[in-house]
Amino acid sequence: MNATLATLLAAVASAAVTVATEAAPLPSSGGAQGSAIVVQDQASLRAAPRDGAQQQASLWQGEVLEVRGERLDYLQVWDHKRERGGFIRASDVRRVALTEAEGPALLAVMRFVQDTPGAEALGIGLTAAYLQAAPAKALAGVEGAQAFDALGTFADRLARRASVAVPGKASGATLSAHLDVANGYGVRFATYEVEGRMQVCYEGEAFRRLLAMPVADAEQRARAALALTRPECINPDLPAHERAKVVTWQAEVLERVDVASLPGYLRNRVQIRRASVWGATAFQQARKNAADPAVAAAAARALTELSGVSKAELPDEDQSAYNDAAMRVSAVRWALVPAATPVAAVGTRPTLLTEPGAPGETCVLLVDAQHSAKAPLLRRCTYGVVWVASASTNREGTAVALAVQPMEGWRELWVLRKTEGGWLADVLPPAATTPETGVAEWAGWVPGGRQMLVAREARGQGRYRKSFEVVRLDGLATERVTGDVSALPLFQRWQDPAWKQQTLSLR
Amino acid sequence: MKATWNRIVQTLKDRRSTPLPEAGTEPVLAAEAQGPVDADAFRLNWAYLLPTARTVRWLAAGAVVTAAGLMVYRNPPVQHLAQGDLGVRLNQFTGAVSLWRDGSVWVVPGLHTVRVFSLRDQSYRPEAMRQATGSAPLQSVEGLSLGLDLSVRYALDPASPAVKAGNLPDNVGADIVEPAVQGLVYKVFARYTVREIFSSKRAEIAQIIETELRARLAADGVTLRSLQIGKVDLPAEYRRGMDSLLAEELASEKMRYTLELKDKRVKETELDASADKVRREVAAEAAAREQIIAAKAQEEAMKHVLPFKQRQIEQRQLEAEAERVARVKAAEGNAQARRIEANGEADARQKLAEAEAYRMDRIGKVNAEQMAREGALVTKHPLLIQKTLADKLSDKIQVIIAPPPTNGDFIGAALLGGNRTAQAGAAQAAAAADDATTTHAVEQ
Repeated sequence: MNATLATLLAAVASAAVTVATEAAPLPSSGGAQGSAIVVQDQASLRAAPRDGAQQQASLWQGEVLEVRGERLDYLQVWDHKRERGGFIRASDVRRVALTEAEGPALLAVMRFVQDTPGAEALGIGLTAAYLQAAPAKALAGVEGAQAFDALGTFADRLARRASVAVPGKASGATLSAHLDVANGYGVRFATYEVEGRMQVCYEGEAFRRLLAMPVADAEQRARAALALTRPECINPDLPAHERAKVVTWQAEVLERVDVASLPGYLRNRVQIRRASVWGATAFQQARKNAADPAVAAAAARALTELSGVSKAELPDEDQSAYNDAAMRVSAVRWALVPAATPVAAVGTRPTLLTEPGAPGETCVLLVDAQHSAKAPLLRRCTYGVVWVASASTNREGTAVALAVQPMEGWRELWVLRKTEGGWLADVLPPAATTPETGVAEWAGWVPGGRQMLVAREARGQGRYRKSFEVVRLDGLATERVTGDVSALPLFQRWQDPAWKQQTLSLR
Repeated sequence: MKATWNRIVQTLKDRRSTPLPEAGTEPVLAAEAQGPVDADAFRLNWAYLLPTARTVRWLAAGAVVTAAGLMVYRNPPVQHLAQGDLGVRLNQFTGAVSLWRDGSVWVVPGLHTVRVFSLRDQSYRPEAMRQATGSAPLQSVEGLSLGLDLSVRYALDPASPAVKAGNLPDNVGADIVEPAVQGLVYKVFARYTVREIFSSKRAEIAQIIETELRARLAADGVTLRSLQIGKVDLPAEYRRGMDSLLAEELASEKMRYTLELKDKRVKETELDASADKVRREVAAEAAAREQIIAAKAQEEAMKHVLPFKQRQIEQRQLEAEAERVARVKAAEGNAQARRIEANGEADARQKLAEAEAYRMDRIGKVNAEQMAREGALVTKHPLLIQKTLADKLSDKIQVIIAPPPTNGDFIGAALLGGNRTAQAGAAQAAAAADDATTTHAVEQ
């Protein structure tokens, strides 16, 4: 840490010296002593210019002070935030004049700090100083785009740091102080409770400004769009219609990024995010009307984006996002298959019909030649989206599998099976955890009418699990399970070709 | 008369009988005819100058005809009425009145008299009251003079009894309309203030005047077509005050309209807000319904997970039970096997212990024999102990040749950190060794 800080200070000093030597000398303004940005955490504001003097306050990196004089190797400063004056060691701060000539120097330092973890508050302070110093013309140009990109990056990284639990009192104090510094510069954060802990998210103003700037390059746009569309930063308490609006807005934001000129890993990230968002869009539209062509269009778009992800250029850190996106797209993939028009049931083979129930409810009817829709074999209603196209009946006509999606990114498998007492409906969820993201897919029937093949993939309570299972129809108990299809001969033998062709589990 | 005339002529003839010239010739003087004449001859015979009876008759007839023609000319028996005129013929003897419209009407002189009136619309604009400074301005209730541009359009009503009775004056305008108008206008205007006349009550005044004047004129056979009040001329000072007052009134009127407009806007906003409220309520209702549906779907998903979890737990319990039973059985088997093994092992140990005891006995005996042999050897060669010790110290040391300590200690006492005397002894021994002996230590 000390080595890093020393390097940082050296870089700051050298950059300042380099640019200052090239910059035109400023006409020294009369009484104005300029400002100073604190570069050290827990720098002491003392009552007198001595090391042993009483400490007035503890300052953190990025805070700005007004310089009112110099004593020995101390600066006499005034802290407007705390409304307190005092002395601070000159080596703990960097003086800035906030004039136009100082702009390039600040920009250079800002660029250096941009990718330095732990220096977010300092970076925000430097960016604020640059925005103050630079003329409007520069801010509307490339430098302005860089400044907003840097500001957004700092704020976003600080929010992520705050969201990740780091044990230790000292780091917590530093983090909260850095958040306060950022708040002091008008950088706002939103906090949401996700899975029992607080998620801190940057509100995203700098990124929104950046996206509105025509001079912003593709990488900056990609970074901004990715930061603005974090899935964990959607308020979990949002009502359904508001959530749909947010998802639509996210799709629009991601459309502003031109992925063609991006480096591979960044393009992948954008496409993964797009796939997730379009998957969510498809579900939101399907909740209103599953037969709407817009649903199929959104699902197709999601699948296209996911297919565009190059696995060779997928870093380990993006693997979980890729899996999540794949599950979300997989949840709505049946939207791409047009629902076949219900034909008259032939013989004893049952078919499925749907009819609206209570408002927002879809009822699934199981009918055959003897039982019409008025007296069906089975009637079960759900508030989820019923993907009718996924209905599949086994060879014996004793079981029907159906995909139903009650939540965004969570698709269940309904198994309607014939028993001695009549038909029953069982539901196989993707995982035995709190519903989050997951898919349970029918993968084939094992001849004999006693077993079926199921592919399950889910993320719940922080764990990701993908499995291929042989499930007993009676009670849906898993008989055999594997993570690799090739390790289960029964599965390999009886898997459905259509499933194998269309599924995303075998990606 | 004729007889009288004849007597006169006869008398004249008698007085002077002068032959009358031939009829058809003019009487001429004798002198002219016969040259010179005497004085008597110039005496005029007046009788010849008198007209004859015949002449007189003609003359009388001519005079009569002339007089008659003159009478007819002066009093024509037929009067022509132009379009839009009304002729009122009065029979002088009977007093009967008859009305005649366009065309000609017989007027027997001495018997009939005809008066012609126009039925066309006429207007009356009293000039005297037009200016406030005029000769006869109107007076308001405050006593202020004011001018009024009044225009009255009227026409005779041929159907009215006054007209039918022929009681109309010759000048209807001057004798009927003017007095009626003036008698009414002055009276009516005297009831109002100047402000009312000028602005607010103008229409009302016009209405009152028109109504009353219509009734008055109708009684005299005149129909009021219209009454128009034009410009009201105020006194100059009053006019200025009135202008400002009117401006204020106008402003207040404008303000009234502005307020009305604002009021309407408020109402409009209120209506918009109401509509918006209804819209929002509907949207909120829809959103709430949507939210409920989403929540129900989520609840459904949770419900589906729970039995599955339950089944999983049960399955695990069963598996655990099966595993427990299997483990118990395995443990029992293991215990049995161990017992068998332990028995076998105990037997084996017994055997081994016995063998060991026998071996130890044998070894003890052999050792005793060995020690007896070694004791004899040591007694024979005392330095053998030192050598053996040196050998045991290290395998690196092959040979140590050192004098034995004087105090009879072990040769390696100095090396092994003996007491000080031993060290001193060793030092002395080392010093002596410099003179006497040499110590070699060879390392491999």
